[in-house]
Amino acid sequence: MTLRRTLTIAALLTPGLGLILVMVGSVFYIAVAQSFGYYNLSGESAFSLDHWRDVLGSKQFGRSLGYSAYIAIISALGSIAIAYPLAIWMRKPFRGSLVVGSLLKAPLFVPGLVAAFLFLNVIAYHGVLNQFLIWTGLTDAPIRFQNDRNGFGVIFLQLWKNMPLALLLLTGAVQGISDEVVDAARDLGAGPLARFRKVIAPLTVQAMQAALIIIFIGAAGDFAFQVTAGPTNVQSMAQYMVFLKTSFGRWNQAAVVGVSLMGLALVGALGLAGLARLTLRGLKW
Amino acid sequence: MVSLSDTAPVAPRRPRRPAFRRFTISNMLIAILLLVCVIWLVVPFGMAVLWSLLDPSVRWEYPDVLPPALSFARWIEVWNTTSLPMALRNSYILAPTVAVTTLILASPTAYAFARHDFPGKGAAQVLTLLPLVIPGFVLAIFFSALIFSLGIYSRFLSILLAHSVLFLPYAIRLMTVAFSNVRLDLVDAARDLGASPWARFRVAYWPALAPGILASLIIVFIQSIEEFAVAFVVGAPNFTTIPSILYSYLGYNFVRPNAAVVSLVLVIPNVLLMLGLERLLKSANPAQTGVKG
Amino acid sequence: MASLAAKGISKVFEDGFQALTDIDLVVEPGEFVTLLGPSGCGKTTLLKTLAGFYDATTGRIEIGGTDVTAAPPEKRDTAMCFQSYALFPHLTVAENIDFGPRQAGVPKAERRARLESLLRQVDLEAHRDKLPNRLSGGQQQRVALARALAMRPAVVLFDEPLSNLDAKLREQVRREIRALQKEIGFTAIYVTHDQSEALAMSDRVVVMQGGRIDQVGRPEEIYARPETAFVADFIGAANLVPFEDLGGGRVKTPLGELRAAVPPAGNASFICWRPEDVELVEAGAASENVIRGVVRDRAYQGAHTELHVATGDADLGLQRLHVAGAAPAEGAEVAFRLGADQIRFVRSALA
Ligand SMILES: Nc1ncnc2c1ncn2[C@@H]1O[C@H](COP(=O)(O)OP(=O)(O)OP(=O)(O)O)[C@@H](O)[C@H]1O
Ligand SMILES: [Mg+2]
Repeated sequence: MTLRRTLTIAALLTPGLGLILVMVGSVFYIAVAQSFGYYNLSGESAFSLDHWRDVLGSKQFGRSLGYSAYIAIISALGSIAIAYPLAIWMRKPFRGSLVVGSLLKAPLFVPGLVAAFLFLNVIAYHGVLNQFLIWTGLTDAPIRFQNDRNGFGVIFLQLWKNMPLALLLLTGAVQGISDEVVDAARDLGAGPLARFRKVIAPLTVQAMQAALIIIFIGAAGDFAFQVTAGPTNVQSMAQYMVFLKTSFGRWNQAAVVGVSLMGLALVGALGLAGLARLTLRGLKW
Repeated sequence: MVSLSDTAPVAPRRPRRPAFRRFTISNMLIAILLLVCVIWLVVPFGMAVLWSLLDPSVRWEYPDVLPPALSFARWIEVWNTTSLPMALRNSYILAPTVAVTTLILASPTAYAFARHDFPGKGAAQVLTLLPLVIPGFVLAIFFSALIFSLGIYSRFLSILLAHSVLFLPYAIRLMTVAFSNVRLDLVDAARDLGASPWARFRVAYWPALAPGILASLIIVFIQSIEEFAVAFVVGAPNFTTIPSILYSYLGYNFVRPNAAVVSLVLVIPNVLLMLGLERLLKSANPAQTGVKG
Repeated sequence: MASLAAKGISKVFEDGFQALTDIDLVVEPGEFVTLLGPSGCGKTTLLKTLAGFYDATTGRIEIGGTDVTAAPPEKRDTAMCFQSYALFPHLTVAENIDFGPRQAGVPKAERRARLESLLRQVDLEAHRDKLPNRLSGGQQQRVALARALAMRPAVVLFDEPLSNLDAKLREQVRREIRALQKEIGFTAIYVTHDQSEALAMSDRVVVMQGGRIDQVGRPEEIYARPETAFVADFIGAANLVPFEDLGGGRVKTPLGELRAAVPPAGNASFICWRPEDVELVEAGAASENVIRGVVRDRAYQGAHTELHVATGDADLGLQRLHVAGAAPAEGAEVAFRLGADQIRFVRSALA
């Protein structure tokens, strides 16, 4: 490559990729630096492991980490589990498939906070869900669904918002498999389950991994759903971080939580993606 | 009663079985799915609309299935007494600016990805996805630390910068596809026919780029309008956007009808834009198949 | 017992289009049968109906004596070779070939034996661990063939398997398939719209048109004794001329009165003769079955020269002649004779 060409390409990449690297890099650098006591906005900066020790030692941190991991894993796996059969079903167009597809994907374009509000409205103490349950006689008195202790509300919201994303990715991948390849598998004696295990799943594993990664990271870093619909006895990682920073101005401790959250996102996302690949390898035969 | 088969003409060659099977499986699935979609979408949104139209003079309580009286009073009240008009103004000045800025920043990189081959291109393309994999609130909080230490005090500029970086991945991706849809044979043909650079741009570049540009503008616009983390952490309390207002209504001062109004203000433009985008992506398809063929 | 028997098959698609009408076909074990016909005549539809991908609207299909009309493809003892090969892109050559036997629960030792012998037969031993996208077109075609054969199916169905190959490779793979078929002895139904491929490969040819079978027969029969105008025209070249029966083998045609060795059947409506079946004669020669005309167009083809000759009746169009050796120039008057035994009678296409 000539120098001129190198310079041209570098110049082209600067405003887009360059800006991304500088910004994300600085943010990441600040978070890490602050977690070790550097880069303090007030007071003096000095290297220290105290913040890590304080935060990692606190009971609340462990609970937050576990809770966020739990929500993220269930949301990612749940979205995939719902989206796969739908994607396979919609592989071939049929009458009404466009309408069904758009309806299923609609939540993708509903802002998270609006989704949370809609949900709260439906499950409210005197909301439609409770009215319906009483009307059918399933319960005598309204049930308190809001802020349930298991985070089911948050998981439901995550599924509502993220399943369409998984569906979008998987539909694209499943439709990319040629009919003849699937027909060939049938012709060679593979029933529906074998066709899924041995042909469709291995050929869509990348889309599945992408969906798992994006959903896991989004759900692990969730703030809005947790604050509005989550349990009140435990904080999500993002909530905990914001809480440390806003309520006490403890930037360094917030940084420790933030860096841990990034770690969780990285480890969890890669772990799920790897697990998906391994499972499929095991299923291949 | 005479049985029908006595009078009906015998038609042994009708393809009955497949038609019947189609009816049972596929149509039933569609029916179930439509029902689920109703519960999925119509019920929640219907409730929100009803709550936003609830007349302030009455209370809607168990066991009323529908509100006793409807009016636009809540909408007027929210408009007149809260900071919604300002938030609307902020959001609707910010989002178009972000959309255009992001498009301008993304285009050169997208052009490089679509039209040049260079070592490390794959890695570079993966790196552009970085903003998508950093949890939103981590980015927001430490971005606020960054601008604080840089001494940038304009909230608008700060959010503009953060949003542009956050949504660059979408714009780069869409514009990369658009640039690779430009047919080089058309460019050459236009040159061959003696077209000026401007004419060449019009016949060869613009038709392929236009759908990508519009899609990128719309998607970034929607994302910017509804983005909460940065807008809240960096903007609050001086620079309010619509999501920040909704957040406050959902949190410490929960007023259901007001929250309903703000939710609808936030979501209705989205729906309209999405319909436009859907149409756009459909019309963009011929351009894409044209490249393959 | 026939390997495959289809009786009264018709297929009406969901949109109401009738793609197959009253198809009867019996294929004997070890036979190589070709379905030949123009694009859109229903060859693929028939093959997919036999394989079970489409439900036949009416009719009955037996494979190896068992009724499989209602069985799904995975339960039918057929294996299909797709036009696009349809290899599993995520599996290696060996895994592709092994897919069917594994699915059928064939014991491991037996599977391995089949795999090894097939890899040898299709000459892919060196490529066994490659993924399909690393193979050339001809190699992929052979993997598809081996994958189908590994099932030891009663019938192998080929849908234009060679159409993605260039002319030379096509010729080679065609010979390989035929050799393998003779060696292993599988029954084959082979779709093509290339008539020379059909004539070269088949034990029997099934000529289809508009969802119907026009004629079934050995390649020589099909070529030498076409029964319909369509078959005559589609296989090789033919001159078709309407006629009036005068009795006793004599017919009246726009070309003049002709005598045929065999009298026409009742439903025949055209006489048919092949361009190479004529003999040029002296312009003045007065003899039976001699036709006169003017050469309008002349195309040298190497082994012969093709002449387009205008005869007295302008509405009839030009007659095609193939002449070996020195041929008359354009504009020359020619006379040619049709042997009485070269004149055949055919039904009109749609009869
Ligand atoms: N699923 C379908 N629904 C409706 N009509 C169909 C369907 N599949 C095929 N057809 C029609 O049936 C007819 C036969 O199609 P088929 O694919 O069998 O042709 P073919 O003989 O294989 O042609 P080719 O040589 O071009 O492959 C065509 O007119 C086609 O348009
Ligand atoms: Mg075909």
